[in-house]
Amino acid sequence: MRKVLAVIRREFVERVRQRWFWVMVLLGPLFFGAVFILPTLLTGRGGVKHIVVVDGTSSTFGAELTTRLDRESLFVAVRVPAGPRTIDSLTAAVDKKEIDGFLSVSDASVDSGKVTYRASNVSSFVTIGTLDHVITEMVNATRLEREGVNPNLVAKARIQIDLDTKKISGGKATGESAAQSFSLAYFMGIILYMAILIYGINVMSSVLEEKTTKIVEVLVSSLRPFQLLLGKVIGVGAVSIFQFLIWGLSARLLMSQRRHLLGERGLGDAGAVFQIPHVTAGTAAVFAAYFLGGFLLYSSMFAAVGAMSSNEQEARQAQQPVTMLLILSFISMFAMLNDPGSTLSVTLSLIPFSSPIAMPVRWAAGSLPLSEVALSLGILFVSIVVVTWIAARIYRVGILMTGKRPNLKELVRWVRTA
Amino acid sequence: MSEPVVVVDRVTKRFAGHTAVDSLSLSVPSGTIYGLLGPNGAGKSTTIRMILNIYVPDSGTVRLFSEQGSGRDHSARIGYLPEERGLYAKMRVLDVLLFLAELKGVDRRSARTRALTWLERLGLSDWCMRKVNELSKGMQQKVQFISTILHDPDLLVMDEAFSGLDPVNSQVLKDTVLELRARGKTILFSTHIMEQAEKVCDHVCIIARGKKLVDGPLAGIKRTHGGRHLLINFDGARGNADTVFADRRLVAKADASGQFAELELAAQADAQEILRALVTSGARLSRFELAEPSLNKIFIDLVGPEAATAPARTGAEVASA
Repeated sequence: MRKVLAVIRREFVERVRQRWFWVMVLLGPLFFGAVFILPTLLTGRGGVKHIVVVDGTSSTFGAELTTRLDRESLFVAVRVPAGPRTIDSLTAAVDKKEIDGFLSVSDASVDSGKVTYRASNVSSFVTIGTLDHVITEMVNATRLEREGVNPNLVAKARIQIDLDTKKISGGKATGESAAQSFSLAYFMGIILYMAILIYGINVMSSVLEEKTTKIVEVLVSSLRPFQLLLGKVIGVGAVSIFQFLIWGLSARLLMSQRRHLLGERGLGDAGAVFQIPHVTAGTAAVFAAYFLGGFLLYSSMFAAVGAMSSNEQEARQAQQPVTMLLILSFISMFAMLNDPGSTLSVTLSLIPFSSPIAMPVRWAAGSLPLSEVALSLGILFVSIVVVTWIAARIYRVGILMTGKRPNLKELVRWVRTA
Repeated sequence: MSEPVVVVDRVTKRFAGHTAVDSLSLSVPSGTIYGLLGPNGAGKSTTIRMILNIYVPDSGTVRLFSEQGSGRDHSARIGYLPEERGLYAKMRVLDVLLFLAELKGVDRRSARTRALTWLERLGLSDWCMRKVNELSKGMQQKVQFISTILHDPDLLVMDEAFSGLDPVNSQVLKDTVLELRARGKTILFSTHIMEQAEKVCDHVCIIARGKKLVDGPLAGIKRTHGGRHLLINFDGARGNADTVFADRRLVAKADASGQFAELELAAQADAQEILRALVTSGARLSRFELAEPSLNKIFIDLVGPEAATAPARTGAEVASA
């Protein structure tokens, strides 16, 4: 046991001493912040769009629409009457980036709702969404008026819906909004994915280093290969936990000082806008359990990959199947966020290779029966035992091997004979 | 003499397709320097790895210190320098030494004291807080050597001990090894360079293609496999020497010219008989020397040129170990 402790100590101390660990600790939150804020920044502030409204109507509809669009902060709109060459010259203008796009309306627009929008970029949700919203509103109002409804009445009848969503957990509303649940689930999914991947690969390169420097021969003459593997996995795992602790504690500190910090900059209200999801003890426990499980499962696979490769290049290739498993679990997170209760989501949260990401995401997105979590954890635990057993055998043979990478048949033989 | 430190009893190790070590037996007496000699691919490293329990023999047994347990169980008493050297490149020299000593069961405090002493002794004190990869190759070799003896092992095992060492380091290593023997430690090392083995070994075992050709005390091997050459210088009078040289019961082959002669003794001949015969015949001798052939010559005679080439084996075969 003392020998295992020595290995754990070495893995931990050497990693924490490295500069990149502290770079990760500092840049991690920035990176995660960017993952959250960037999408909103990018979609929200595409800049002001200069558009032209080609008015082919015989009424005032085109002019009114132009005024209405121009009032939106997103658009600068100019009305041009429809002519024989208008479309061609505007198309050229879009091409030369003089304008962002143009909208064609005619009398048919009010009758059948047909409007065309041509632009250099039609994939921005915000632009298209605003156009759609404004035009629909205008067309509906015009049609109602045409049927003799008072425009004031129309305006009066309209009301902004405020859909208040709260998650129900344990039979009562939690006061946690859908947005908060979503961002918590999303956040946990990303962190789990990144941490398992990064620290799994850490285990792999550690195995590979000992193998390529041949020091492993000295090591296995002193302790059993499994002890070495165990120490390595625990040591690297401890580094990741240490990192989470630093993040967790500094986040707590920031939160407790939040009012103070924000107030000083005259951002007293920002706290309300920037909703911070409530992390319960249960959520933290689920996160911790699945992180540990996922890390153990994947790091032993990564260790086996390191042991069967003889250089970085080979390892990069050989790690692909393992990385793919993890990436697939990560991608499936989005399906899970969409519908945490679907058959797909339930299945993924039971399969051991995807459950470390899937289950915490489901947990955060909507409440789950504990029995389901227990079942999933049970399956994960059994899988860890089986996978580690196989990986340890590959490891034991692989670390002393030289020469070409084994194929699948040889791997099976290693596992059998080791 | 006390019990042998290492007893290898009919061990065999097969890798897919060929036998690396074939029913090999040897025993390393306590307090000696034991040389495991053989051409490349003879099975030296495989034998050493089986002694250390890195490989498990397919059959046969290895017994250490006349006790139960594998090489790993006794690892605190064994120092091992593998053929291919390497340390953690990014670790500090002192930390590497502490870590490796810890694996041998030495506590960190005494490991530190010993490491600093040894680093001082081998002229590396200034480097103890530097990273391994900042050191020259020769310095790294010294550090690795320190790591194998830091826990003061009773048995030091070195695979291709002197390979890649410059003459200075080679001398340092040799001196240290001799000093260890003087303190009653046992040293087992493999090499294919006979000149080195000849200088330091008490016992040798020559193997080729996984089989033992000969083993025993170096002097004894030289006596049985060499000692058949006579170098003679005449001091003026040759007497009836040519008649003696022609006696096929005594001399198998003679190369005589003027005042000098080199004889190869006949199979059962006794050199003393030749001396008596020469003196009786009236010859005056200034030199009568039973020349020992070099270990190198014995080695080549025994191994033969064809055995010096190892059968090809692939990485995958090695892998199935």
